[in-house]
Amino acid sequence: MKALFSIVRRIWAREWWSLLRGTVLSAVVLIAGIALLGLSGWFITAAGLAGLAGLGIAFDVFRPSAGVRFLALGRTAARYGERILTHDATLRSLARLRVQLLDAMAHLPFSRLPALRASEQLNRITRDVDALDGIALRLFIPVVAALATLALTAAILWFLVDPELVIWLCASYLPGVVLALGLVALRSRGPSRMGQLALGAFRMRFVDLLRARTDLAVFGRLGERSDHVLAAEARMRAAVARNDRIERAGGFVLSVTETVAAAGALVIGALLAQAGTIDPAIAALGFFATLALAEALAPLRRGMAEIGRMIDAARRVNRIIESGKGHNSKEGRSPAAVDPAKPVLALRGVSFRHEGAETPIVDGFELQVSAGETIALVGPSGGGKTTILHLAAGLVAPQSGSVEIGGLAIADWGEADLRQTVTLLPQRSALLSGSIHDALALARQDLGTREAWAVLAAVALDKVIDERGGLDSRLGEAGAGLSGGESRRLALARALLRRPALLLLDEPTEGLDRATAEKVLAGIRRYLPEAGILLASHREAERNFAERVHIVAPVPV
Amino acid sequence: MVHSKCTIYMRVMSDLTESRKARADARLATMLALVCRQLSLVSLLSAIASLLWIPQAGTVAVLLSALISGEPGLFGPWIASGLFLAIGILRAALSWTAGGIAFTASDRAISRERAKLLAAQSRRSPVIAGQHSSAEIASLAADKLDLVAAYLTRYAPAMARTRIVPLAVLVVAFSLSWVVGIILLAAGPLIPVFMALVGLAARDASERQMQEVGSMNALLLERIRALTDLRLLDATRRTLEDFEAAADRLRRETMEVLRIAFLSSAVLEFFSAIGVALVAVYVGFALIGELNFGAWATPLTVGEGIFLLLLAPDFFQPLRDLASAWHDKAAASAVAGEIADLENDPSVDILGEGTACPPLPGPAVIATNALVWVTPSGRRIEFPDMAVEPGRTLAITGPSGSGKTTLLALLAGLAEPSDGLIEVAGDRLDDRTADAWRARLTWIGQTPHFSNESLRANLILSAARRDDARLKDALVQASADGIVSALPRGLDTRLGETGHGVSGGEARRLMVARALYSHADIVLADEPTADLDPETAQAVGEGLLALAARGATLIVATHDVDLAARLDSVVDLGATR
Repeated sequence: MKALFSIVRRIWAREWWSLLRGTVLSAVVLIAGIALLGLSGWFITAAGLAGLAGLGIAFDVFRPSAGVRFLALGRTAARYGERILTHDATLRSLARLRVQLLDAMAHLPFSRLPALRASEQLNRITRDVDALDGIALRLFIPVVAALATLALTAAILWFLVDPELVIWLCASYLPGVVLALGLVALRSRGPSRMGQLALGAFRMRFVDLLRARTDLAVFGRLGERSDHVLAAEARMRAAVARNDRIERAGGFVLSVTETVAAAGALVIGALLAQAGTIDPAIAALGFFATLALAEALAPLRRGMAEIGRMIDAARRVNRIIESGKGHNSKEGRSPAAVDPAKPVLALRGVSFRHEGAETPIVDGFELQVSAGETIALVGPSGGGKTTILHLAAGLVAPQSGSVEIGGLAIADWGEADLRQTVTLLPQRSALLSGSIHDALALARQDLGTREAWAVLAAVALDKVIDERGGLDSRLGEAGAGLSGGESRRLALARALLRRPALLLLDEPTEGLDRATAEKVLAGIRRYLPEAGILLASHREAERNFAERVHIVAPVPV
Repeated sequence: MVHSKCTIYMRVMSDLTESRKARADARLATMLALVCRQLSLVSLLSAIASLLWIPQAGTVAVLLSALISGEPGLFGPWIASGLFLAIGILRAALSWTAGGIAFTASDRAISRERAKLLAAQSRRSPVIAGQHSSAEIASLAADKLDLVAAYLTRYAPAMARTRIVPLAVLVVAFSLSWVVGIILLAAGPLIPVFMALVGLAARDASERQMQEVGSMNALLLERIRALTDLRLLDATRRTLEDFEAAADRLRRETMEVLRIAFLSSAVLEFFSAIGVALVAVYVGFALIGELNFGAWATPLTVGEGIFLLLLAPDFFQPLRDLASAWHDKAAASAVAGEIADLENDPSVDILGEGTACPPLPGPAVIATNALVWVTPSGRRIEFPDMAVEPGRTLAITGPSGSGKTTLLALLAGLAEPSDGLIEVAGDRLDDRTADAWRARLTWIGQTPHFSNESLRANLILSAARRDDARLKDALVQASADGIVSALPRGLDTRLGETGHGVSGGEARRLMVARALYSHADIVLADEPTADLDPETAQAVGEGLLALAARGATLIVATHDVDLAARLDSVVDLGATR
């Protein structure tokens, strides 16, 4: 629950104006509805009274009937406005939530980022933010509007009808609503969480089964694994069924509350009228208004059904946002430029071991790279080449030994300055949808056309892009539309645009034929004549390109 | 009666299978067929619950009219209020029961669809590549099928109420006052028009909003995936600003469309509000004696007036419920369409069930005779006849597309040949013998996959019982022990998407270790050395030969001439074409 409030607070802080407008208009719609039914009931009863008393001529029919028409039309208009404003508020809060989430993730340590990329993690994040999308439209606005409506209606009925009725209204509605919402909020949290876990397990087991189905068939394990998938599905169904029972119980409580309140208003009004305290028409007004108050609860029903899910999602989303907070990008000391006398990169006695692993993947590693020098790391796959590049880029920190960039320990660099000086092209890089120019401008904001073409030429991609329609041609999601080798070269072009003093390349020519690979490698050096280049390599072309080859042997077991 | 209506509906639907939309609706109808009875019951209960408002309104009218006239009516305040309460609780209980039945029905229908999907997709042969990714299929089963539930539990009862409740209210209204009847009826013929209007608008609006959320999520996911790159390029701040701008643009566009949609539904509301207001005004005027027409024999009484006023909103309520549930139908239909598409994908099943079974007895002789495979596109691949004696090693070579992988799959019983015969251990390989034959096989696929569980569990897939010593030997022979010890938690490490990664070469060596661990005496390996550096390819080759040295028959599909040269014989599929 705390997490849910915290999410609402975050959205409110930036979007309070749109939320407030939506809520106010929601309350207006509800109040107009109550006034309409109350006035109509009063009008008919009063007209009946006047008719019976033979005072029909004296009864002012025009003002009440005009009021009925005004409220009917006014409510329709207000409803239209309410929909516009609440949906606007929803869309705004939905964007706000995503921006905050992304912002928080951008501040996590590098080591935690790959885990976020896993598809089940992404699925969960998507489902969580989707679950929280209803926070404004189905929880915040209806609850606040219903409370405001109840307060205002109670105040009006206090003067118009009788305090007894108002006391009854509060005594029936408030406990009913609190009971229903409380019941659902408290009891559905467990099943919601169980359901989400089971859903995740079901999906993951299903994907695993489909991807491994050939192996499983050959090893005779298909039936068993299908049962394993269905077991997760059964758990998911059980959790959903429990949730459904709780929600329906909550709905039942709300329905009974509405009926009890209306029945009470009926008897209170009738007794007061019989006692002569109030007019029968006023008694009718009180009953009809109570009846209409039930409309204020209708939007809560949808929200109630989702509250357990929202609380569960809020907990996780909040945790991500909170964990991002602790890791603000640090402001460190940094030299204005790299000292040309010092090696651009120096690794001294560097050891790195994955958390919990028996043997280190890099052990006592020594390497220096000077400006303008090209060094290739070679060795069998799994030997630690990639880890060395990650150490040099500051993505991971060594357990022992030192990593220095331009003579300054890497830990002392500020994040922005380090990225200005060191650029890593990872083994797999991600492109975004958008134009080619957008893709390149990620690396340099004020990128000019000529510069863009120059860097594309350096990676032998200028012809390809020209044929595709130039810098404005669009890429699909995650860079769809380019072949593997083309994507690789575009990512490389992006890295070159940073013009770093130290360029770290992880298998840069993967997926390129030999001739293109040689052209690209030559282009890199021409583009960055001064930079120190360290590449992890598994190809001859890359080894030939390097001035020095450094063999990375796997650490003996 | 109810059942026959469902059958007719299904027949009507299945006659219309030309277009994709009709196919989707037909598929939806088959999903419902199982729970047709329950849904009819739900509809009935939900309609009764709505209709019970009529006696409740009657009770109120009787009491209020007694108050106005000052005469003792049928009953006093306490009894009237008690009756109102009792009927109200009965209504709530009916809705509660109907909701429960609807949930159980939709849960059953959807669970059955999931099981069907799982059964069909898990036995799909690898020989024909599917059009849908595993993740898409799983998301269909796990998330999208839920959209059908909303249709079953919300739309179907709302539809039933729309058919029954307005008509009942109309009958009551006419019996008391023809003017009120006509006011409501005047809205009546307009209702189908509004329904269409609102339906279209609501669908548009909901589709727009789905798209909006969809594209916002797509933007978010794309950026989460690229976070490492964005930070390496020092571009996170700008990316956030772009994301905000893009989200704002999407919001403005969506609001344009929503405005129109909301305007259309405001029209429905406008007419229902006008209808109710006209009833109230007419009744008021009639009661003070300004209007002396409209009722039948006697003038309208106060009680009747109040009764009519209470009923009027319920004439429109089911329509409004239906309008707000309209997009449930569109969403359910879209999901059914996706399932129909998936089922229409060309595919063949594996032979047998893929379950454990005692191995086929006899020496492991493999012989093929006039084996033919016809691809879905109609290309015919004829394989040379071959006979492999137990313990021999064989390389299958040939250019890409010559059918190397297909041949291995056919030998493993992973698809039925289009023509010709495979004999294994003296038996014909077919549905009956496939599981028993595979109990003697091991398989090293082209793209190793690690399930989301410990590496150990992945490696001992072949045996139910865990034998650590044998696993250690297998890892050493496949020179994969070093890979394991460098992993964070050794054999307990979770590999795969959510876990730690291994390189392509490491994965291959682990697969060889898995083959070594198994009891199999026949090994089928598909391109075991593709995309590996020479040292790693050498290590994988050694591992395979270690298997053969143990007496296993080894059949390898490969491009690698060095590897092929180390095996006893070579079948070149390219040469026969």
